[in-house]
Amino acid sequence: MNSEKFSNRPSGAPPNWILALFLVFSFMGFADSTYLTVKHYSGTPLECSIFHGCEKVTTSPYANLAGIPLALLGMIYYAAIIVLIVAHLDSRRKSIFVFAARATVIGFLASAWFVYLQLYVIRAVCPYCMLSAVVSTLLFVLGRIALRSRTSSKRGLTPAG
Amino acid sequence: MKRNAKQKKKDNTTSPRTRLRFAQRAVLWSAVLIILGLTVLIIADRAARRAPGKRPVSLPTRIELSPADWVKGNSEAKVSLLEYSDFECPGCGSYYPILKRLFDEFGDRVKFLYRHFPLPQHAQADLAARAAEAAGRQGRFWEMHDRIFENRATWSKQADAEETFIGYAGELGLDPQRFRTDLNTADVRNAVEEDRKSGKRAGVQGTPTFFLNGWPIETPRGYDEFREILQQAVRSAS
Repeated sequence: MNSEKFSNRPSGAPPNWILALFLVFSFMGFADSTYLTVKHYSGTPLECSIFHGCEKVTTSPYANLAGIPLALLGMIYYAAIIVLIVAHLDSRRKSIFVFAARATVIGFLASAWFVYLQLYVIRAVCPYCMLSAVVSTLLFVLGRIALRSRTSSKRGLTPAG
Repeated sequence: MKRNAKQKKKDNTTSPRTRLRFAQRAVLWSAVLIILGLTVLIIADRAARRAPGKRPVSLPTRIELSPADWVKGNSEAKVSLLEYSDFECPGCGSYYPILKRLFDEFGDRVKFLYRHFPLPQHAQADLAARAAEAAGRQGRFWEMHDRIFENRATWSKQADAEETFIGYAGELGLDPQRFRTDLNTADVRNAVEEDRKSGKRAGVQGTPTFFLNGWPIETPRGYDEFREILQQAVRSAS
């Protein structure tokens, strides 16, 4: 890690590379779940092909939560992360970033559950859903890294001060 | 932006600095909105455009109808609609009510045919196809076809739906013992396999795939589009 840069910042502020990756991943997640949402509402996946099993997943009863398609919830989730990161960049308030980094646990746990459903309950894998799971896991890991370096830099400061 | 953070002041007067800050914020958030909005629009446009443009088969070849095909409607009609279908495919399941309505409307002018195309990812699809064939051996192919589609949600979740299908056979008044044996005869298996092979030869890549008068058509989106196509076919045939 570029610790030099890090020490130049106000204590606890996440490094730029973390913020950049946060934006990139949540944008990927947003685009991915947008595609799934569009497919859900346009009703066009009315076809099964020799090549993939996506329809089986997206048309399964597990694709909705209280009548709302999971893909739409995914869009909202990723958009919220993007908005929070931009809000942090705009205001430079650490608390906003910390909130976003902590919120990634929601996406991570939800994804873990959906991967379980695909592998063991529906027994079909939807590549677009898997991409979303990968992205939300990466966001969670990034969030953990950022939060840890924040606490460790805090700990580093206390004995010195 | 970094500069702005340092310039944070408590004064509420509209100094040039705060106005600049406001303008920057407006630009930043509009950019975020525009990027997200454009993403949605582009993806929605792409997804909508790809579906109807997709060719149902790799190479359009004419399909010859066979006397072994399951037929309903007007068997003398000049217009024929052949479906390659997989009972477990959700897409085929959603076309089932559409085809039923089309049959009600065009049954006297169009010949409706059905061929099996069970896909490997659907564990019960081959068995379901054989169940329909076995019912056909007792003259009840279409009744079983309807029952299988109508109960797709039930049997497709089962690890082995054989007993369920035998139950349907009983409900339809078939001889359950004969049905049970027929399910696993080479004759019935071959009938399904022959359909699947003929589909493969014709370049069928997924289900449902429709052939109008033997020629593959792009899968119509919904009842209205389908109705239009059949109406046109009937008009030009007469």
